[in-house]
Amino acid sequence: MLGPARSRFMEDHTVTPNETPSASAGQEPSCTCPTPPASANPAAAVPKTTRRDFLKTGGMLSLSSLIGTAALMTQSDDANAAIEWAEHFQKNYRLMTDKEKDESRARLEKRYSAEYGKEVKVDTTGPQPGMLMGYALNIRKCIGCRRCVHACVAENNQSRGAKPGEKIEWIQVLRMERGKFEKEKMDHGYPEGLGIQVGGNAYTPSGQVLEGEYHYQPEAVPEKDATYMPIACMQCEKPPCVKVCPVRTTYREADGPVVIDYNWCIGCRMCMGACPYWARRFNVANPVLPKEEMNPVTHYLGNRPRMRGVVEKCHWCLQRTRHNRYPACVEVCPVGARKFGNLLDPESEVSKILERKNVFRLKAELNTFPKFFYFYD
Amino acid sequence: MQQVFSFAADYTRYVLKGGPKFYAWMGFLGLFILGMLYVFYLQNTEGLIVTGMTSQIHDGLYFANLVFLVGVAAGAVTIVFPAYVYHHEGMHKVTVLGEMLAISAVIMVTMFVFAHMGRPDRLWHMIPLIGIYNFPHSMLGWDVMVLTGYLILNAICGFYYLWVKYTGGEVNKKWFMPLVYVSIVWALSIHTVTAFLIATMPARPMWFHSMMPIRFIATAFAAGPCLIILAFLIIRNNTKFWVEDSAIGLLTTIVTWCLGIALFLTMSEVVVELYARTEHANGLYYLMFGLHGLTKLVPWFWGAIVLMVGAFVLFLIPNFRNNMQLLPIPCLMAFAGIWIEKGMGLIVPGFIPTPIGEVTEYYPSLVEVLMTLGIWAFGFFILTILLKGAIGILQGEIKYAAAK
Amino acid sequence: MKKLAIYTVALALCGSALYTAFAADQPTDPAKVAAAAAEPAKEKEPLVCFEGRKGATEITQRDLKPGWPNVKCSPTTSAALWYGDPYEGTVPMGKMPQLENLPEGHAVVRPRSEKLNLLAMCGTACHNGVGPKANPPTLPKDKKPIPIPTMEAMYPDSKDFQHGRGRIWCLDCHHTTQRNKLVDHFGDPISFDQPQLLCGKCHGDKLRDWRDGIHGKRIGDFTTGGKKRWFVCTECHNPHNVQDGARNRGFAQLQPEPSPQLPRGMKDAKHEKVHPIPH
Repeated sequence: MLGPARSRFMEDHTVTPNETPSASAGQEPSCTCPTPPASANPAAAVPKTTRRDFLKTGGMLSLSSLIGTAALMTQSDDANAAIEWAEHFQKNYRLMTDKEKDESRARLEKRYSAEYGKEVKVDTTGPQPGMLMGYALNIRKCIGCRRCVHACVAENNQSRGAKPGEKIEWIQVLRMERGKFEKEKMDHGYPEGLGIQVGGNAYTPSGQVLEGEYHYQPEAVPEKDATYMPIACMQCEKPPCVKVCPVRTTYREADGPVVIDYNWCIGCRMCMGACPYWARRFNVANPVLPKEEMNPVTHYLGNRPRMRGVVEKCHWCLQRTRHNRYPACVEVCPVGARKFGNLLDPESEVSKILERKNVFRLKAELNTFPKFFYFYD
Repeated sequence: MQQVFSFAADYTRYVLKGGPKFYAWMGFLGLFILGMLYVFYLQNTEGLIVTGMTSQIHDGLYFANLVFLVGVAAGAVTIVFPAYVYHHEGMHKVTVLGEMLAISAVIMVTMFVFAHMGRPDRLWHMIPLIGIYNFPHSMLGWDVMVLTGYLILNAICGFYYLWVKYTGGEVNKKWFMPLVYVSIVWALSIHTVTAFLIATMPARPMWFHSMMPIRFIATAFAAGPCLIILAFLIIRNNTKFWVEDSAIGLLTTIVTWCLGIALFLTMSEVVVELYARTEHANGLYYLMFGLHGLTKLVPWFWGAIVLMVGAFVLFLIPNFRNNMQLLPIPCLMAFAGIWIEKGMGLIVPGFIPTPIGEVTEYYPSLVEVLMTLGIWAFGFFILTILLKGAIGILQGEIKYAAAK
Repeated sequence: MKKLAIYTVALALCGSALYTAFAADQPTDPAKVAAAAAEPAKEKEPLVCFEGRKGATEITQRDLKPGWPNVKCSPTTSAALWYGDPYEGTVPMGKMPQLENLPEGHAVVRPRSEKLNLLAMCGTACHNGVGPKANPPTLPKDKKPIPIPTMEAMYPDSKDFQHGRGRIWCLDCHHTTQRNKLVDHFGDPISFDQPQLLCGKCHGDKLRDWRDGIHGKRIGDFTTGGKKRWFVCTECHNPHNVQDGARNRGFAQLQPEPSPQLPRGMKDAKHEKVHPIPH
């Protein structure tokens, strides 16, 4: 899998500090498209009416979608539309041959480069043998600053529009109030009808496991009366989301992360219902991704720009980690609470944590076997 | 072959002809269907942002209606079962009408699936051979399979029966009866699988219990026959076709006891969940009393309870259930109550709070309302045509010319 | 009299130099925060973002190639949010016990002494070990805490020195004669770029965790033996006041990044403050 071009890509990331780490170094520019991008919005360039109307009237939806896109094809000279048309009929990524993967990747690179006005690379590097990615998070350290959340957005090309639903973040930081027992509450009990105190709760808050705030916005963190709990995809070994997917568009890669072929997703959202960690987000609208903020180093199964109507989630920065670079959230955590490494390597930081620290997995009782561990110092 | 063409021609000619009342009804439905086409276009250009759904609450009105209508489709078995297994005379006469109702309901379910999906243009990804069909792992895969099967079974049974009536021949019991028995079991399966669809997610404690399938079946066998009773009463009053009192009476009995069981199961859930009041009861608690001061669904839940309990009491009063003038009242009440309880009252609170505890609220947007009305209108459009054709054949108004 | 005048001048010089050096290391500086926040508006001035804690290390944003910056800064807090080049401005870490197996140049750090570059003067101008004998400001007889008005004026934290709660004093960490160096147990100097060698004197468990990547932070290549930039102790912790009063963990408080978008249907997030089970 690692051709000369690929390994050069790797070096950009890892070796030379003063050279440009962009993927394009030493590679031929693939964008030869003469047509300037009509719009930053992938779907805006596509005439839609015929396709939708066909969709509606047809009983056999699959057939109608074929007709619809065919109509789309005949009506438009736009090169992007042709690419979209071809994208529409490509196979599930896992079933593609290497040649088909290359074709698909070239198509995407061409379309993205035109849309975002810069040379965009779509990586298709597969898993390395002997690698099983794992994550650990020191919840005693987390100060709730949300830098990971925003680093993730900067890296992973999420939608960032202003309308509700147009802004997607994969990491949630939960602010949990530190509980305290109070004298005044000592005789608050349930039910007290006959003067018999059945139970009591002198503790505030009530102590529910995941009762917290997502929208906290104090002047400064960490606050004295709070602890913080970041949550994102746990990359389960037995992912419930993968099991429920009717088209197998989401699956666990050999090196650990659970990924999504965005071009194969039908948007049924069963995976979102099945995820016990609320890790998945749905593109309710055409993603809003300003050209200048777009990260041009992408992976097919990772951070390449998504389209409306599909599900997305954390994939441990596949475009980085497949080339041995730390995920974006790990790199910006100001307190070093986030740890990442190869679980099969006994010398890696995550292996050391499993060996030395007290760890737990969130909702372990569900037998999802996350590869994301929380630990304490 | 010629018979087939003339069947199609006669059938089409018959269902397209009608009085001003018929055209007014169809035109009225047509308006909603146009609205639905427009919002479907919107949804597939703007995205589901035009609906009330979010990443937190990502199944809403569409999924709720889908679940409910699967129940209505399954409810047709309350006619087929007594007719073929207990040889109920009155029922036997109207079996085919039940099958037509099932067909329309399944079509509506399919349309709600399209409305719900983010990428309906990619549905072909599910078709085996050209796509990937994640069978047997995906419950949605099972659901698609049983629903398609049910649609085909009902279409075959219903239209074969009509065809036989049209040509004036005899039903070939050798393969027809087994097919009928299969369709009876199949009707149970569609709703069971729909219940499994949401009950197999430990991530959503409100749905994650084994009572779901039986509760689904009980509510389905209450809501489905309610709609059938209403349809039968309309048919009796507007066509020459006479539905026997005994058929309606039996359906009323079925509705009454299924509604009773449904209420009992609801009560059991409330007691079990709220007695311990664990964190897993948060969804139900939100539905009944609100959570974190958010109470949008509370009136819906209590409204549904009042409607269902009220309907149950009315059904128990002989003067009410035997009076064909008053019968529609409890039927409508039960239908509406179950629609709320099983739709908005079950699907939405399943997402509140999210698995990591975030509490948000959902209310359907105008687009969702228009879409839902449009799909229901389309369903009634299909149902009207199917019932009209079926009644025409049963009445002998459509007949193969050679057989005359 | 003449001597006194010379002393005063020398002290004043050292003082001003030291003050500038230490001021840069202050955890919070409202003027600087405001300046950083105002920067995106101006466009022309280069964007500077801070890395771990405020005042420890900064990176100036520039384009490594079109559309590929070396770093992305938060428009809200001007914190570094993304690294285009994890090794920018780094130098080899230098010898670290038990990390000898790392390939040459695969452990790099951003030099701390660069940030504290005026410290170079400390060791030459005043604390050079050759001061006047009568009242030498540079060579105390022992390590006992004594009020030093000059130092307190330059560095107010020393008046109420927090680290160690009065059980350690300046010269437990700073070299007696080479003030641009730290000191180890044997009295040998330690570079300011390798504070871990100093801190590890007491915090051995932390040093061990840090060496294994459990404590602290490393960026770059995550594989064992891959090239990493290591963050050293003082990039995250203020060595003079590690616990920083108001905060409840090991770090100075800082402004958080913006909260997530409210989902459709929610006007505000007040409900989050309400407890689901009333008391």
